[in-house]
Parts: sequence; C-alpha cells; structure tokens
Amino acid sequence: MSEEEAYQTVLATLKKEAIYPYTEDEMQVVKSIESCINCGLCIQHCPVVAAVGLDRFSGPRSIAVELSRSPPEYWTTADVVYLCTGCGTCREVCPKDVDIPEIVNLIRARIFKHRPDLMPKQLHTADAIIVEHGLAFVPWEDPEEKAESRDMRLERLGLRYIPDQVVKGADVLFYPGCQAEERAQEVKESAKIILNHFKVKFTLLEELNCCGLPATLLGDDKTALELALKLKKKVKDLGVKMLVTTCAGCTSNLARIAERDAWGIPVYHMLEYLVEEIGIAKLSSAFKQSTEEEPLRVTLHDPCHLIKHTSRITMDYAGQILGLIPGVEVTQSYAHDSCCGGGGLVSYHAGDVARAVMKENLAAIEETGATRVVTPCPLCTAQLEDSLFRQGSSVEVDDMTVFIAQRLPQEG
Amino acid sequence: MDLEADIVVIGGGMAGLVAGIRATEEGMKTVLLRKGQSATAYSSGAIDIIGYLPGGTVPLGSPVEGLQGIASMFPFHPYGLLGFTDATSDTVSKTIVEKVRTAVSWLKATLLGSSIPLFGDIDSNLDAVTVLGTVKPTCMIQETMWPGSLMLDADSVALFAGVRGFPVFNPRMAAQVFLEHQISNRLPPRKAGHHVLDLAPFGNNYNISSIEIARYLDNEDNLSVLAKTLKKQAERIGATHIALPPVLGFNRARENQLALQDLTGAHVFELLSFPPSVPGLRLQRGLETAFVNGGGTLLVGHHAKMESLESNIVKEVTAVGPRRNLKISTKAVVLATGKFIGGGITGTENGIRESVFDLMTVSESFRIATSITPQKLTNTIALTHMGHPLFGSGLSVDPQFRPITAEEVHAAENLYAAGSVLAGYNYPAEKSGLGVAIVTGYMASRNAVDYVKGVSA
Amino acid sequence: MAKYDVIVIGGGSTGTAVARDCAMRGLKILLLERDDIASATTGACAGMISSGLKYMDEPNIVDMCSDEVVNFKRIARHVMEKNPIITPLLEMSDISSGGNFAEEYSKRAETRDVPPVLFLTPEDSLKIEPTLNPDLIASIYFEEYFISPFALCMLQALDAKQHGADIKTYCEVTDILTKKGSITGLQYFNRITDKMESAKTKAIVNAAGPWAHKIAALAGAKLELRLNKGAHVILDRRVVNVGVIAKAIEGRMIYLFPHENTVLLGTTALDTWEDPDTLVASQDEIEYLLKSMEWVIPSIRDARIIRTMEGVRPLIPTWKIPEGDVTRGYEIIDHEPEGVSGLISFTGGKLVMCRHMAETATDLVCKNLGMESECKTHNEPLPGNSDDVDILALAKEYGVSQHTVERMRARRGSETATILELTCDHPEWKTTICTCEPVIEAELRYAIRATFPQTLNDLRRRVRLGTGPCQGTFCTFKAAAILAEELELSGEDFQLEIVDFLAERWKGKRQSIRGEQIAQEELAQGIYACVGNLDQALEELDYDLKPWEEVL
Repeated sequence: MSEEEAYQTVLATLKKEAIYPYTEDEMQVVKSIESCINCGLCIQHCPVVAAVGLDRFSGPRSIAVELSRSPPEYWTTADVVYLCTGCGTCREVCPKDVDIPEIVNLIRARIFKHRPDLMPKQLHTADAIIVEHGLAFVPWEDPEEKAESRDMRLERLGLRYIPDQVVKGADVLFYPGCQAEERAQEVKESAKIILNHFKVKFTLLEELNCCGLPATLLGDDKTALELALKLKKKVKDLGVKMLVTTCAGCTSNLARIAERDAWGIPVYHMLEYLVEEIGIAKLSSAFKQSTEEEPLRVTLHDPCHLIKHTSRITMDYAGQILGLIPGVEVTQSYAHDSCCGGGGLVSYHAGDVARAVMKENLAAIEETGATRVVTPCPLCTAQLEDSLFRQGSSVEVDDMTVFIAQRLPQEG
Repeated sequence: MDLEADIVVIGGGMAGLVAGIRATEEGMKTVLLRKGQSATAYSSGAIDIIGYLPGGTVPLGSPVEGLQGIASMFPFHPYGLLGFTDATSDTVSKTIVEKVRTAVSWLKATLLGSSIPLFGDIDSNLDAVTVLGTVKPTCMIQETMWPGSLMLDADSVALFAGVRGFPVFNPRMAAQVFLEHQISNRLPPRKAGHHVLDLAPFGNNYNISSIEIARYLDNEDNLSVLAKTLKKQAERIGATHIALPPVLGFNRARENQLALQDLTGAHVFELLSFPPSVPGLRLQRGLETAFVNGGGTLLVGHHAKMESLESNIVKEVTAVGPRRNLKISTKAVVLATGKFIGGGITGTENGIRESVFDLMTVSESFRIATSITPQKLTNTIALTHMGHPLFGSGLSVDPQFRPITAEEVHAAENLYAAGSVLAGYNYPAEKSGLGVAIVTGYMASRNAVDYVKGVSA
Repeated sequence: MAKYDVIVIGGGSTGTAVARDCAMRGLKILLLERDDIASATTGACAGMISSGLKYMDEPNIVDMCSDEVVNFKRIARHVMEKNPIITPLLEMSDISSGGNFAEEYSKRAETRDVPPVLFLTPEDSLKIEPTLNPDLIASIYFEEYFISPFALCMLQALDAKQHGADIKTYCEVTDILTKKGSITGLQYFNRITDKMESAKTKAIVNAAGPWAHKIAALAGAKLELRLNKGAHVILDRRVVNVGVIAKAIEGRMIYLFPHENTVLLGTTALDTWEDPDTLVASQDEIEYLLKSMEWVIPSIRDARIIRTMEGVRPLIPTWKIPEGDVTRGYEIIDHEPEGVSGLISFTGGKLVMCRHMAETATDLVCKNLGMESECKTHNEPLPGNSDDVDILALAKEYGVSQHTVERMRARRGSETATILELTCDHPEWKTTICTCEPVIEAELRYAIRATFPQTLNDLRRRVRLGTGPCQGTFCTFKAAAILAEELELSGEDFQLEIVDFLAERWKGKRQSIRGEQIAQEELAQGIYACVGNLDQALEELDYDLKPWEEVL
C-alpha cells in the first residue's frame, strides 16, 4: 500500500468513528476546558439559561464538557449549541478561564463541516449571503436607494452628510462594519462627523467586507478566514496606523484577527479612540460648545462584545463621555451588562429564545425611568429598538456614536 | 490607557471586597480586579468564623471560645496573627477577639440595609441545617436561613419541602437525616415530614436549577401558589417550621420569607446548600454593590499580571482583560486571589506556587511548600476532621499581613495578602473560611491604608 | 439448604462468563462475589480486547484472541468501540522491532474487519495526532477494539440471571466443604444480610482472580499464582485523537488509549505480594508512565489527571522471567489429581479470552458432571445488543438531550428506549444527576431496579456515575438520595453511602493529585466537609476504615 493509500485508509476509519483529528490550534481552545471544575457558576450566570431554563438550554458547562470529553460525540450537541448567544458571560465568571465561547464556535465549525444537516436551516441561508456578498446582509442593489435611505436617516437625526473618502496614508481607517454600512447608515455617518470634528486624518475602505464574525459564529471557518485575509490586505494597502470601528462585534473580532494575523496596528472602538487618543479634555470642550442642551435621562446598555470580549473598561469610557455632555443624566439599569439576545445568530432561527433573553433587559430599562437607551453598538441598538417597539415602550434607542455626533457643535 | 489608584485589590471574593470596601471608606482610590466569579459566590452564604478548633471534633459554642483557643494554641493561624501586637501576652486573646468583633460587626453594618441582612454574632455559633439534613455550626447566616426555634422548642415539627425536578435537595432523605441526628442528641423537633412541590418555572418539572426557581420567586405573583401548597402540607403534619432549599429569590428572599410565614403560619427558612448556591451569589452581589456604591472601581473580567517582583515596592499592576491590557499605577496592593479554586495558589507535581507574584508558599504547618508534591500534603482518608494539610497551604505573612520570603522578611513593603491565599488554617475542617476572609481582608486593608497615608504624608 | 449444579466464585470477567455459559447450558448456577461485579482486577483493566499485540510469538493465543474479538463483535457490539492506534517510531531501531508484529497482525486483520498494519509518514502521522513528538521518523498504525469491562461483566451476569442463575454480590466464601475428597458445598458470609449462609454443590469454579489461591486453600487445594500489579493514570477527556503506543524507560510497551470519554495511560507491571485491597498507584508508577509517554507526546504532562487505578493480574506462575515474557494464555486447573474432586481453578488469561476460558471450563465441568452440551455464548447476543439506536429520534420523542441519549446508548445499547420509556410516567426522571457523563435519573432508577447494586459504588460501575473530571463532586449526594429512596435506607446509611463513595473516589484521586484536580478537590471538601459537615460525622456514622485508609 502506498503512503497516500495508507493515510486515506486511516482517515476512512476515523471518519467512520466520527473522529475528526483536532488541529493544534483547536487543541489549544479545547485545552482550556481542562480547568473546568464543574462548579456551575457559568450556568448560574448564563442569560439564556435564565431566560428559557436549564432543560431547554443545558448551559455553557454542559456544551463545553460534552464536546471536549468525547470529541466523536460533537454532533450530539446540535440541539443546544445554536442557542448560545456568544455573550461571553460564562468565560467572564469562570474562575478557571475556560474559553467557552470559543469552544461553542469550534463545535459549530465541526457541525458545519461534518454534519451540516444538523444545523438550523436559517443559518445556511445566512452563510450563503456571507459567501456570496462578503457581507452579513444582502447589500443594497441600487446605490441611489441606499443614499436616499441614508439621507432620510440623517435628516431625521439632524446630522449632515460628509462624503465618503478613501485616502492612502491616512492615520485612521474607519471601519463601519456590515450593520452601519448596509442598515444603520447613520452610525457610519456619525462616526465620520466625529472624526471630522476632531480633524482626524481618516479613510474608509474602497469596498467594505465583513470582518467574518458571523461566519465564525455559524461555523464557516473557511469563509471567516478568507474575509479576514481580504481585510488584512486592504488595511495593509491603505497603510493606516490604526483601525477604528463603531461596532462592538467588529471591535472584539477585529482585535482578535489583527493579533492572530499580525496586522501590526491596533483596533479601537470609537469610545476607546475618543478617550485614549482624542482625550477627555478635547471631548469636554467640544461638548461645551454644543447647542443641543435639552436635559435627557439616559441609560446605557453594555454590548457583550465590548465588555466581555474586549474589556469592561470600554463602558467606563462610555460613562465618562456621557458625563461630559451637558444636560445628560445617566441612570444605571440593573441589567445594563446582560445580553440583548442579539448575539450568536440565535435570533436567526430561535427568535423566541432571543426575545426571552431580552425580556429582563427591557424590564430593567423601563425601571430606570430613562427616556433613552444609549449603546455603543449598532446591532444592540437594532435589537433593543425592535424589542422596545414590540412591547409598545416609549423609550428610544440611540447608538452611542450617533448620540455623540448629535451633541458635537454643528459645523458650517 | 493607564489607571491610577491608591490601592489595587487583586481578587473579588470576600477578602478582596472587604479590603476594597474598607479602603474606599478610608478615602482611598481603589481599583479591584475580579478575574472570574469568586469562591464566595459558590459558598453556602453562611458566614463561618470558627466552628471547630484545628483538629477538633467538638463544635464550638461560640467563635469567641474558638478564638481564645487559637490565641493560646495556634499563634500562626491567621486569627492568631491578629494577636501580634506590642501588648503583653495576657491580652493577646482579648486583642484577637476584639479585632474579629470589629471586622464582623462592620460587615454586618455594611450589609444591614441590603437585601441580605445577616443574623448572628461572634458570641455564639448557630446550628445551621443543610440540604443533606446535617447540622453545622456557623456564626452568621442570612436572615432567611435562620431556622428559628426549630431545634429549641420541644413541640416543633419540621416540614422539608423540595421541588420536583430539582435534584440538589431530596426532602425525604434530608428530613430523615435531620430527625435521626436530632433524636440521637435528644433534641427537637419531635417530628419531621417531607413534601415535593410542583414548581415549574418554565413549565417542565425536570432539570430545574436553583437560579430558575430563585428568579421565578423574585416575581411576587408566583409566590401565592407556593404558599397555598405549603400551607396545606404544613397543616397535614402540623408543621411549625418549613425548611426550603435556598431558592427564595435573589432580590426578594427576605420579603418572600416573611410573606410565606404570614401565609402559612409556620417559620419558613432556607437550608444551607452547595455550589452554585443562591445565597452565596446574594452575598457576592451585596458586597460588590457596597464596593461600587462606595466609589470603588470594580474591574470584572481582568486578572492581574506581574512580570516579577523585583523591587521592594509594587508600583504597577497590569490588568489583563479579554483583548485589552491596562496598566494601573498604585501605592499599595492587597492580594486576595484565593486558594486553588480562586487560582491564587496552584500545585503541580513539583510543588505549590503562588500565581501572581510567585511568592514563597508554605504548608499548613509552615514548611516551605514551593517544592512539595501536593500528594504529600494529603491524608489517606477523604473526609476527616483533620482536613488535608494541602488546603491549609498558601502564603506565610508577617503580623501586618505582608507575605514573607524564605528569609522571613516581607516580599514587598506595600504588598498585603488576605483571605484563603493565606496558609495556616484549614477552612473546610475548621469551618472558618469566610471569617478569616473578612477579618484578614479588613486588617490587610487597614495596614495598606495606613501605609498609603504614611507615604502620602 | 439451596443446591446448585455449579457454584462460581468471583464476579469478574471470567466468573460472569462461566456463570453465563453454565446457565445457558441449563445448569443451576450460583455466582458468589465478595464485592460487586467487576470490582477488582477486571474493573481496573483498560478494556482493550487485544488481538494479541503483546504476544505475537504465541500464535495459538493470537489466533484465539482474534477469534474472540469477532465473537464479541457479534454478541456485544453496543458496548464496544474501535481503537485506532498509532505507534510513532522515533529511532531506526524502533522500526526493526515492529516487523514480526506487523506480519502476524496483518495475517488475521481481515477476519476482524480491520486494515492490515499500515506505515505512515511523519507528516500524515502528525495530521492524525498533532501531539506526537515532531521528530518521529514514521509511525505504525493498526486497529484494536475496546469493550467496557464493567458493562461486559454486568451483561454476562444479567444474561446468566435471565437463564436462571443466582447472582449474589457481597458474599464472601469462608469455607469450602468436602467429603472424602469431593466437594459438597460451601459457606459464605453475606455482607448484605450480615449472616453466614451456605449452599450445596458438587462443582465449584474458582474464578477469584488474585484471590484464587486463597479460595483453593479453603478446599485444601494448592494453587500457585504470580501476582503482578499494574497502574493506570486516567486523564479527564480524550486528549488524543487516537490511541498511542510508546516504549517505556526499560523498553516495555505502554499506551495512551482514549476510552469512553477519558484517556487511559498504562500500564506498569510489578510483581506484588501486597493485599490487593490496599494497593494504590505509587508515585513511582505515576512518574514512570508520564516520563515514558512524554518521550512520544511531549505535552502529556500538561494534561489533567483525574485519578489513577491499580489492579492485580493473576498470572500463570512462571519464575525467573520478566513479567512480559510470562505467557498471556490461561490455565484451567482441575484439582482432582491432588485429591479435591469438583474444584477447578483459573490462572492467567486476559479480558479478551474470558468467554473462551468460560467455554473450556464449562466443557470440563459438564464432562465431570457427565453431561453433554454445546456452548452457545459466542452466538447469542448479550442484552442490549439487538437493534441499532436512533439517537435523534429518541431524543426528540422523549424530550431528552441528544448527548444524554448518545451516552446512554454507549452504556445500554438497545435498552436505551426501555429506560427513556420510564420518563413517560415520571417526567422528573429526565433530570440530569451526573453532569460529567451525563446520567439522568431514569437510568439510575432503572439500574438500581434491574442490576442489583447495593452501594453507590456499584451504581458507578453500572452507569459511570462520578467517573468524570469532577469525580462525584456534584452527583454523589444527589445519586445517594435516589439510591436511598429505592433501597429504603436510613438517614445514617444514606450519609454512609456518600462517605463511602467519596472514600473510593479519593483512593484514586489522591495519588496523582495536582493541577486543577486540587481545585476540584477543594470544591469537594467545600461541599462535603465545609457545608455538609460530614467530616465531623464519621464517628457518629460508624464509618469503617477502608483497607487502603488504614495505612497512614
């Protein structure tokens, strides 16, 4: 038997036994489960367990333990693994740093590759879109319609339009992400207004492509990697010194892949950029010149991808920034840091679970008496807006980038 | 960005939070790093000060009695260290008792207005009942966990009520264990019955977790059904006391207890349970709220990283988050990273290590443990009143609670340690875990504050 | 007094196989086991039903092993799994030593439905098993099978029972009665009833493993054994994709085998004269295994060790040769020539041969009893081996998680549906009790009712309760309550069950305790000592020290 035949014979047996050898990278992820002492704190803190009960969603520990202990049984987790919103609470509360969100991604990747029949069909649709368009959503067909939609949004918010610019050798690459590019265009525009206000030499991408997070979350690692490499090339070609984004998911994911693929530049969320690079002093004086001074009671919602996947310090920044804005009073919701239900692509196929996760959040928001929720993530904004609207709430939702842009002094 | 602090507390369990709250009360700019959730959050929520003397088999009537014993027999026990003052030896035990009293009273006062007021004091130990039906001596419990006159009143009758599909608590076996124990000690109650309630927070009566029930009961509307069944069952056996697993709510436990008592006419209380327990989490949340409300900066999801302890002063701590590192400059550090669960202490076949600063570790009997195989610090018997010396290993500290080196000098002049990262006491056997955490957290914080004030002056 | 055609002593793989064979041939059988089914030698073995890897120079035995694997696949496929194995070669000298094995193995591969021995390039080897030492020059690949030793013994015992045998656990034989050189019966102490009991028989099969010489002595017969101990280190999960074989420091073969959802690292082989009940893996044995495996898997020391186990092999007494050279065949000794008629004993043997050993012994018993009969044990399936199990359909039908059903299938085969059916009347029995494995309450109740466990430790052998990384930290008290309800135990006995179970787990955990297993143990102490206060209850509970605990 030839070497190749021998190898193929082995693979055939392994396939029959559902043994798909872990690569070294995967082994590092799975290895973190070794530290699990079964304490159950992840289950006690998991927003999905709280929302739908342990029987429906057996919780982070169960997923992690099931896969890692007996990899050939990975496929049996298909009935629970897609209910994880990827919020990262489990990893944060884990006394042993078990990286459960990554393990969830790893299991989904195995199912995607070897048992796609067990994956919710809505996720196949979502994957097809990413593969076809390189974006999380089907893009606007007609650029004029897109511009119209943008202008309507800007008009409603009282924001002016600054034309897109692609500049080689700029300091900052502003990366809006799929949501702000295709749907919540006001977020992208607001970011441009902010960067412009502080006279930042920034550029956009000639053509945006998704950071790959949704592909990772549904298990299509191949597409995720392709998108990441494509993005790296674009970033390198522009020769920027840093990347700034307004999306929480993009922040943590870009930070991850930039490190993994050695981009050599830092990735910031707009909040971090404002506090760490622009500085509190400049921000403060800008807000003082603002004409928008109506007193407003707001409450913050913390996006999981910022607090649990990047750093909790980001929301301290959010608080600091809001504290600088005249007339804004911040009231904290007791559920400010709990998942909005929008993560992990759960809402694509199990809307009831996503809504159940959101339920407590909404009650907590109402309890604050705030008239507006502010959150530094266009996806959380959309999820919150939709849910508050459904339950007939009068509370409004603003993406924080928009909220800030609105409160900068109007420029000629 | 960099942060500035007067005091950085590493570790967000009981010891770290006590140290942090105290430091903010003293006007210190305090940053507390909490890596994961702490062992306090796992705990039963009962606060043990000292239940048995080291190696002892007789439950102590009061923590004071135990502290006096420690003062005379175990000077290097963390409680014993409280007695190292300038004063003469005959006041050692008094000094210790007073320091413990101060810390414990302070904690009680701190949590007074919270949703988890504490019951008990160091002048007597309470008999707390567990979900196994066993009884253990403890100092303070959340008011919802106090069994009232159950074990005093000769006519008392207990009803143990569990929840169908909630496997942590089997009321039938708990009632049996409890009654057998009480009878053999000739103590009330005269009768103990059991019942399984059908509470289905999500419609199914299987695979129910404590968090589900607690959250379910946090909703006022859900209490009445429970009350009705409990009343009926209590009347069936003439129960004067109703024991429930600790699931009466995260926010409304006390209100629910009082409401159930009103509705059933019996004394209702929560049993001590195992991790993950609702009362433990209530305690953790109560402490965190006190810290944050007092102006402390709580940085969750970040662990501390030190390159190494090169100088005699710790000036900076790096906080490592999921994707960001923060440098925190500081004037003093309180190390409250816990033992093996918290990760402050780790063990390999090559020895026992401290995980942040790589400080010297010692065994329970203060032998240097940096190269002792963990197995050597265990007994052949799994459960014994002697405990395993392994769980008494950790850091050796000076009377100011500063970790010391092999040369018996402090490792750094502004580095203090508190809680279960310390050596010299065996909390599972002694029942002294949260007590040592409170008192050493309190004292380490005081010393750190004094140090910072001294440097600043 | 009860009368039996044959009494079998010992509830390991051989004893249960004999009981099954005899019962299937219509004999009236009593099986007496001192502890529980598969609680000693068999319970401490890796479960590999080897095609004869280690004894390729004994072709008859290799043939027999190969045939037995085929037989097991016929009768017990539901408790078996394939074990693909890679043997990395690190030096040229390793290659030459593989030759004979490859040829002998490949000759019989087809009958077992496995490929012949394959040689893999370093690159391919590392793709299959990235943890291997990257310096390897090639690797040998072949395939073996595992069987769950606990399941095998239990199924053999149950099948014997279904064919009319009496199976009595916790019955220790104290005397064998003879009259004029012939067996007439025996006496035993029943630890469940706390009473001496006796039974009449003319034939005794001594399958007492490492205690076989002591049993023979009760009848005045002589039996020589070479007792040899072996240790396994157990890792928390499958840390390797396939099994790995390496040479130890002195050239013996050792292995790292994924088994169920753990990995076994074994084994040592040391002659022993200690009481098997007191043996635990020594620090030397643990380090020997780690050190030796480290050579081919450099990261092995980073893995989490959950426990160790130590077993004793009752080898055929051959002196002046190393353990590895002792034949792995078995011997059946009829004690008639030395004046004890009716007693036959086993020495030697391997797990894979247990059915074959039983067939030979039963043939002899039948001959001695003057009856003619035919062995059917290789054709009749063991319970649970009937249909294939549709995991997805069952999970959906009963509303139980797919993983739970899949793990249950791996333990129960076609009985899975029967167990799930119990949840129709008792939905609350869908509750997961052991989360590591996982095991739901329905399976525990079923196992308690159908498979005669007397203790929580017995239940562990039935359902793998408490065998995961947490080693019973979170399931012990829950399962003990269920057992107590089913067996109507007192509060004291309920607590004793907990303490006994923890004691047995600690026996294995203690020797290798390190890394996160210390944190795990701190949590266990937190539950049972700190909160439960059971550390203070030992005296009150009348706890008897275990044999291994007495040595302080």
